[in-house]
Amino acid sequence: MNLSTTPSRKRASGWGAGVLALLLAGAALAHEAPRSRLDFTPPVPGTYRLERIMPAPDGKVIDAQRQRARLKNYTQGKVTLLSLMYTACSDETGCPLAFYSIAMIKRDLEKSVAARGKVRVVSLSFDPEHDTPEVMRAYGGNHVGGATPVPWHFLTTESRGDLAPMLTGFDQDVSRPRKEAAGKELLHVLKLFLIDRDGWVREIYTTSYLAPQVVVNDIETLLLEAAATVD
Amino acid sequence: MSGRSVSRRALDGAIIAAFAATSLATGSALVANHAFADETCNSPYMRNVIKGQEDYVYVWTLGVEGLGDGSDKIVTIDVNPASSQYGKIVHALSVGARGEAHHMGFTDDRRHLWAGGLDDSRIYIFDVYSDPSRPKLVRSLSDLPQRTGLVGPHTFYAMPGRMLVQFLSNSDDHGGATGMAVFTNKGELIRSYKMPTAQGGDGYGYDIGINPKKNVMLTSSFTGWNNYMMDFGKMLQDPEAMKRFGQTMVLWDVKTMQPKKIFNVPGSPLEIRWSLNEGDNWAITASALTSTLWLVKQDAGGEWQAKAVGNIGDPAQIPLPVDISITADGKGLWVNTFMDGKTRYIDLTDPEHPRQTYEKVTGKQVNMVSQSWDGKRVYITSSLLANWDKKGDNDEQVLRAFSWDGNELKPLFELDCYAHKLGRAHHMKFGTNSIKAAYEPLDDTLAQAR
Repeated sequence: MNLSTTPSRKRASGWGAGVLALLLAGAALAHEAPRSRLDFTPPVPGTYRLERIMPAPDGKVIDAQRQRARLKNYTQGKVTLLSLMYTACSDETGCPLAFYSIAMIKRDLEKSVAARGKVRVVSLSFDPEHDTPEVMRAYGGNHVGGATPVPWHFLTTESRGDLAPMLTGFDQDVSRPRKEAAGKELLHVLKLFLIDRDGWVREIYTTSYLAPQVVVNDIETLLLEAAATVD
Repeated sequence: MSGRSVSRRALDGAIIAAFAATSLATGSALVANHAFADETCNSPYMRNVIKGQEDYVYVWTLGVEGLGDGSDKIVTIDVNPASSQYGKIVHALSVGARGEAHHMGFTDDRRHLWAGGLDDSRIYIFDVYSDPSRPKLVRSLSDLPQRTGLVGPHTFYAMPGRMLVQFLSNSDDHGGATGMAVFTNKGELIRSYKMPTAQGGDGYGYDIGINPKKNVMLTSSFTGWNNYMMDFGKMLQDPEAMKRFGQTMVLWDVKTMQPKKIFNVPGSPLEIRWSLNEGDNWAITASALTSTLWLVKQDAGGEWQAKAVGNIGDPAQIPLPVDISITADGKGLWVNTFMDGKTRYIDLTDPEHPRQTYEKVTGKQVNMVSQSWDGKRVYITSSLLANWDKKGDNDEQVLRAFSWDGNELKPLFELDCYAHKLGRAHHMKFGTNSIKAAYEPLDDTLAQAR
């Protein structure tokens, strides 16, 4: 399929040779795979409706500062972009791409007055045995912490038992290597979930075709919807 | 939870984060290329896992009264030449009803296979990951006409975390005006959409094909319950019935699920195949009644256009092209023509000027055609619709497998579905042991933990 620049509603995307080289260098962290761009102008926020797909599940989580909480504390009251992930994922079309995309989305949203204080980002690990709060804190780096206009929370669970209802609720497939095939990564279709302030999943993205500008527009659509409801 | 030192893997994550932060400064936008493999007709949102030899072909068979239990079945055939069961039925699961079994589709995670009945409008959801050799029915949906007004679930198309289903008819008059409905992967109805009837739309539906990189979806158009459940010979003699076939394709905005453009495509355009070749931006379809190939492509100004680019066989003989299967490189197309039982290869090197380079009679009647990702294996089945299939000795019901070396289709094995009391062979999907062999669902260990 033809691939060309994704026109941003607010700005044109930059695509210099140096950028490409940098990105290819990034790809070398994991597998060899080309990357490409979408080729459409995303619809304008507020001109379309995002359906109520399913309620976001609840469950026991623990944050990067080892504070225990319920997931619903992170999926209600604000528009939430939630990524189910694990830190050891090295498939650059998976969790690393999601991390990168979320960082882009967060950066764009923090420029928006309308989004400040009304949007959050959550990365929730489905590998509790490895992804301790300390590991999640290291993974999040400078993004960890809530003192930003759009906070990014890095959550994990204390056990597989705690994780179960959330995986089931999000219908997230995860398979682990059999013992005889140890060393392989967890197998999963990486999805991001956009959740409204009432805790309803309103959009599901796959990183195979993830355009940050589309996600930003969807978030703005939910913010406009919320504002209209308040009015 | 015990404290733990930061591992090398976490450091990798930090490196990735640093990479992301650096990239952010450039304002670049990335999208991962989809790692295409598997069947060439699957949704692009689907996990594609079969990069080599497929292990199974699932066939959704229509029950025949008086044959076995008379019910529709999902039949699993071992197609791996390395297996001792090669070419044999390894499992057959009856759904206990005869509802005009037709098409199937995997969810995006390839864990479940959805299958529908055009007559009873039921949808069956099979688990194909717990044991790929033995699909297990986990849910059936039976009240869709009441809930949506739609009849005849046809195409099952994976979207992220959802299934988009194209219907063929409606519960008011059983005509061709219809719609689509989207469900969660678990089978919960999210909402339905009507096919457009304004701006030249005829309201009909058939297949779905999405191009995510362009944010566009194409739909095609067939006919309603009144026709597809009518005896074929009787319908051909009914001038009014023959007027009630789809004449359009619709281009949709996937994000908004709103129609953007309606193309006049006479003769009932059926299966839609986007070229999977990187850099291509076109789709192809075949109109059944006019035996015409149609190309949908952006023009130099970026406007989507549909145009007839060639005939399939001699349209005057009404060969009735049915299923089509595009090669992984977008350079070729298999076309089955039902009436003359031929499987034809169309060279699409120049999609504006397709040309047939090969044909072979592969059955007395042929409908569906599927090919492996490497193009070396081609499978065909025989049934179109219970009341449209040929009669008497010409009503053979088979799955036939062929090898393809670029010059000749050579028989590998065949399965007589009547002899095995399975019924009429319709849609096929490939199955694989590859995930099961290397991985176990975390769900299982979670269940143990619970």
